[in-house]
Amino acid sequence: MLKTQELTLNLGPHHPSTHGVFRCVLNLDGEYITKAVNHTGYLHRGLEKLAESRTYTQFIPYNGRLDYCSGMLNELTYVTAVEKLMGITEEIPERAEYIRVIMSEVQRLANHAIYFASMALDTAGATAWFYGFRDREKCLDLIEMASGQRMMPNYMRIGGVSDDLDENWFKLLKELVDYMPSAVDEYEGILTGNEIFQARTVGVGPVSKEMALDYGITGPNARASGIDTDLRRDEPYSVYDRFKFNVPVRKNGDSFDRVMIRIDEMRESIKIIEQAMKDVPEGPIMAKVPKVLKPPVGEVYHRIENAKGHLGFHLVSDGSTKPYRNHIYSPCFVNLGIFPEMAEGLHLMDAVVALASVDIVLGEVDR
Amino acid sequence: MFGRGLIKGLGITLGHLFEKKITEQYPEERPVLPARFKGSFTLKVPKCIACGLCANTCPNSVIKIESEKDENNKKKLTGYKMMAERCLYCGFCVEACPTKALMWNHDYERAKFSREEVNLDLFGSYVPSPEDDQPAKSAKEDEESAQAS
Ligand code: SF4
Ligand code: SF4
Repeated sequence: MLKTQELTLNLGPHHPSTHGVFRCVLNLDGEYITKAVNHTGYLHRGLEKLAESRTYTQFIPYNGRLDYCSGMLNELTYVTAVEKLMGITEEIPERAEYIRVIMSEVQRLANHAIYFASMALDTAGATAWFYGFRDREKCLDLIEMASGQRMMPNYMRIGGVSDDLDENWFKLLKELVDYMPSAVDEYEGILTGNEIFQARTVGVGPVSKEMALDYGITGPNARASGIDTDLRRDEPYSVYDRFKFNVPVRKNGDSFDRVMIRIDEMRESIKIIEQAMKDVPEGPIMAKVPKVLKPPVGEVYHRIENAKGHLGFHLVSDGSTKPYRNHIYSPCFVNLGIFPEMAEGLHLMDAVVALASVDIVLGEVDR
Repeated sequence: MFGRGLIKGLGITLGHLFEKKITEQYPEERPVLPARFKGSFTLKVPKCIACGLCANTCPNSVIKIESEKDENNKKKLTGYKMMAERCLYCGFCVEACPTKALMWNHDYERAKFSREEVNLDLFGSYVPSPEDDQPAKSAKEDEESAQAS
């Protein structure tokens, strides 16, 4: 009998499969993981502290730096939180609300496309990777046209949105919406229908319903484990209560389900955009808000359904122009917490797939 | 049948093989950029009234303005530096400018060898052009400049 010894291995921080600068210390017995310990903080920029020295408006561009794959959604969370704090949620013009919904869903499509792409790459499917990026680029082109930047849009404003959208933009949006379903079909054809991919993902890193609840997992990852939750439906913000869409739920909670739930969600996002596009009203895009914002003393917690889960902002105001405290509840950080338990007993190769399927962005994990 | 999905996937890639290429041969091919694209900054010096709104609204104190008062007690710009190394490219400064003196341009190739080279001296590098020679002179702007001084 050969005597073996456990090996300690650093996965990351500079490893492509960790999707950023995340370090995980693995104890390996052969190629099987016996213990995994998360180490985060490599991308810590102190955004919560920075917020305390910026005015409410000045913090908007920093939101794009949180989860840099879904900038619009982060901005939406932040501005709606400030609006709630100021008590002007009701005053936001209709057109602005519709544009916000359209933008968030376009951003969600972009986010899920990049998720699909990186998932493909982590299972060594380089071709499918390009398909994901091709479609993400189409979504980002629209965001770029509206805001001027692809990933850090700074488009949402407290009280509305920064710029109006013209006919031409909506025409391109229509093209995207018409095209996207075929792209999603392609995803299913090229990756998720592929037997090799299924062999790599089905049953890998299963998260049971109980486990997901224990860890406080939210968003698509929770829905993959059979928890029927979606803030867009359960606590409708903006004008989401006017649209009909399904909330896809799956029950196995393995890596394959986590991929499939995103694919299903993309189809739902397309539906929402289609409905929103049809009845965008004309009108102003900004509510009348004072130039210098001084929310009343108090605190507020607001969360929305980000592409990765519940993103929440806890703002405390002391009546001045700057927040006294800005706490960010980040879905990626919470979802990453499940990795050590998930990785235990997995093959090293499968752990990479399991990590990719959770969809983390380190900008948001470390903040 | 096992392998059916695999063949279907290969069919998809084969289909794309005969389609038009979608990749862009940068830098030979230049991208067509939308009008709102945020590349770098242009300052139309004659239009600037040195009000300082752009500097005030900036989250990262990127903009440094120098000005002096002329004989009519009106502010005149004598220096405009941007520490673009810290810039978030958020566009608040451009939005805040009352005279549209500060604008975005489409110069996106901003990679440089050193940190200092990134910074912009918009006053020093200003090249006069005929269309922005008329200083802004609407009633509202006069009022604002009076307030600022
Ligand atoms: S783009 Fe934003 S960070 Fe850059 S100079 Fe303007 S206001 Fe400041
Ligand atoms: S806001 Fe415009 S006019 Fe005022 S100092 Fe800045 S560039 Fe000049």
